[in-house]
Amino acid sequence: MTPRTTLSRRALLGAAAGAGAAAALSGCGSGSTGSPSTTLQVWGGVPAANGPQELVDGFTAATGEQVTYTRFVNDDRGNLKVDTALQGGVDIDVYFTYAAQNMALRAGSGMALDLTDRVRADPDLAPYLDTTAPRATMVDGRIVALATAREPNFLLFNESLREQAGIELPRAWTVDEFAATVRELAGPDRYGTYSVPDTARVSLGANYWYAPEGGSNFDDPAFLEWMQLGRSLIDDGAAYPWTEVLARQLEAYQQTPFLQGEFVVWPTAPFNLRYLNNAEDYPHDFLVAAAPTPTTARGDWNGGSFNNFIMINPRSTKIDLAWEFVRYWVTDGAGPMLGGGKIPALDVLPDEDVLAGVLGEDPEQWFDVESFRRTLFTDEPKLMTDTILSAVPEISLVSEQQRNLCWIGEKSPADAVASIDALADAAIRRYERQA
Amino acid sequence: MTLTPPLAPPAAPAPAPTTATRTGRGNPSLPKPWIGWAFLAPNLLGVLAFTLIPLLSVVGLSFTSWNLVSGLEGIEFVGLQNFLDLAVDPGFWNAALRTVVYAGISVPLTVLGGLGLALLLNGDVPGRAVLRVIFFLPYIVTVVAIGMVWLMILNPSAGLVNQTLAALGLQDLPGWFASSHWALPALILIAIWSGVGYASMIYLSALSDAPTQLYEAAEVDGAGAWTQFRTITWPSLMPTTVFLLVTLFIGASQGFGLIALITAGGPGDATTVVSYYMYQNGFQFYRFGYAAAIGMATFVGVLALTVLTWRAQRGRTLHD
Repeated sequence: MTPRTTLSRRALLGAAAGAGAAAALSGCGSGSTGSPSTTLQVWGGVPAANGPQELVDGFTAATGEQVTYTRFVNDDRGNLKVDTALQGGVDIDVYFTYAAQNMALRAGSGMALDLTDRVRADPDLAPYLDTTAPRATMVDGRIVALATAREPNFLLFNESLREQAGIELPRAWTVDEFAATVRELAGPDRYGTYSVPDTARVSLGANYWYAPEGGSNFDDPAFLEWMQLGRSLIDDGAAYPWTEVLARQLEAYQQTPFLQGEFVVWPTAPFNLRYLNNAEDYPHDFLVAAAPTPTTARGDWNGGSFNNFIMINPRSTKIDLAWEFVRYWVTDGAGPMLGGGKIPALDVLPDEDVLAGVLGEDPEQWFDVESFRRTLFTDEPKLMTDTILSAVPEISLVSEQQRNLCWIGEKSPADAVASIDALADAAIRRYERQA
Repeated sequence: MTLTPPLAPPAAPAPAPTTATRTGRGNPSLPKPWIGWAFLAPNLLGVLAFTLIPLLSVVGLSFTSWNLVSGLEGIEFVGLQNFLDLAVDPGFWNAALRTVVYAGISVPLTVLGGLGLALLLNGDVPGRAVLRVIFFLPYIVTVVAIGMVWLMILNPSAGLVNQTLAALGLQDLPGWFASSHWALPALILIAIWSGVGYASMIYLSALSDAPTQLYEAAEVDGAGAWTQFRTITWPSLMPTTVFLLVTLFIGASQGFGLIALITAGGPGDATTVVSYYMYQNGFQFYRFGYAAAIGMATFVGVLALTVLTWRAQRGRTLHD
């Protein structure tokens, strides 16, 4: 006799329950909340070899406490991994946030410990209480994240090509002078500049996407001026053709055409200096000098910001140790991060040490050191931090999309900015409605 | 010498099954039903954990507002709001239109190309086996390699295609991925290139089952090649054609890898198809409820298309 093998309702329910339980349990991996380790768990986006590991080793040597640094890739997927891990109860004590959109979500969703009282109690951390040029992220007046780095923008010059063109290295200049200079630098086999600095940011400073009365601020003439400047320089052959930028996906590899002498001026920030003092991986035979961001008639913001925010997971079981580590990172331990181009947010190191750390070994071989000293320190770049974070990813995307359409010549600057304005306004209204 | 054992006496008539024997509890010599389920369990668990639960979660999420970082307690039921928003979202409808264009051009051309190639390779062609492998290769190559190669081939200034067109004296050459007018056609071109080999393999296997007696009868009746194709080959291939259309349409509606790798939906939003729009809303804007609603709408669209395709072929196959 063949036994009947049809599924009874009870068996089905049992199997489903068992499978469900197993599936649920399978989500509890090694990083679950079950048994947090005694080692401090730190997640950051900078490769361990570019400073974090040396910093962690320094902390262990100073305190005897063990720290594990886990690197995540600072892109959409990497940040999603961090968010999922934080929500899923993975053993993370300290973590980093780099982009405004991630900060908006994490800071507003209870994923960051309130650090206000600890900062107030520590005189060395007083700059974090400053609200005029904030170095900390605040939610409802409470500090939830501390900037570990300052990232001033600057314009790098290929010195060989600049000298060939007989142009003086600018120390202070306006956007009009910038445009005239890169037009002069352009030649038959090279472009004057890779791109244009964000002159709307230079004019308007922090929170420049948001109108004071609410909604989008893209109807401010500063945005149209920026869009027009980029388009006219590209059309004139003074700026790198944006069709090539898109076709070769150069936004992520700007250093390659700079090192190959395809353009003379490169608007960028210190984290890209690592490509310029590494002869083995990025060979080149010219010196690089720095010039400040050009100013406009309306403002002299540098365009750079305080960044690389460090936060403590409120679910951490080692909050005191986590705070000790955070404090070490922003004060005594900041030195090793210089190699990755991370200038400390606080003035905890002498300028000369910072300069030496950022430029690396044998700086004279690769850089006009004096120009970097001036640009980074003597002339004190005016940094800012955005405090309004409504619909940042949506605005960032539409701004990028319309800029691309304009700079490849398919849309006029006026139409492109009008489109950004309309789409950004809709995104902000939707964000506020849902908040 | 080996003796054959005596035959066993005939078994007594089996008693009427009881509940106990049906479940195997009453007779320990009978296999237990749970053993079968135990063998099925690993696969069942996989389907449950990686298909069924996520599918049901998407259905549930589409009626909520959730940004992931607020945790499970942050899930807010919003009823049909996501679907109402979707109905008036120009971004979604533009993406849907692009998906229809992308799938509507790439899939039929892939199927037609596959059919032509299969008919060619089914004949007496020298090096037929090698040619089959060559044409099938793009289907098994990783999407990253395909993307990188086509990025170089279609570079507006230094790419092979535009260099060739320029050498032929053509002007105003396509900007391909750096043009909002040409980026989608470029993706369609790649989709056809990478899918034709697969379609031809499926058709080749169907052609090997072609009813030879009908061809012989047609020959005797004096039917030409075109008449044979129209009256015998095409109807006999109809189930295969429907299979290819349905599976390729589903694949095209979910096309994501190449777009994410090459254009990221641009320039502008020129290549933002529904799957990429869903990704943007979910993983860039953290609007997981809305992204789930987009997924549901896509599912309904693809289902409708599948049913229509299925109904359209009824009565047109050789055996109907």
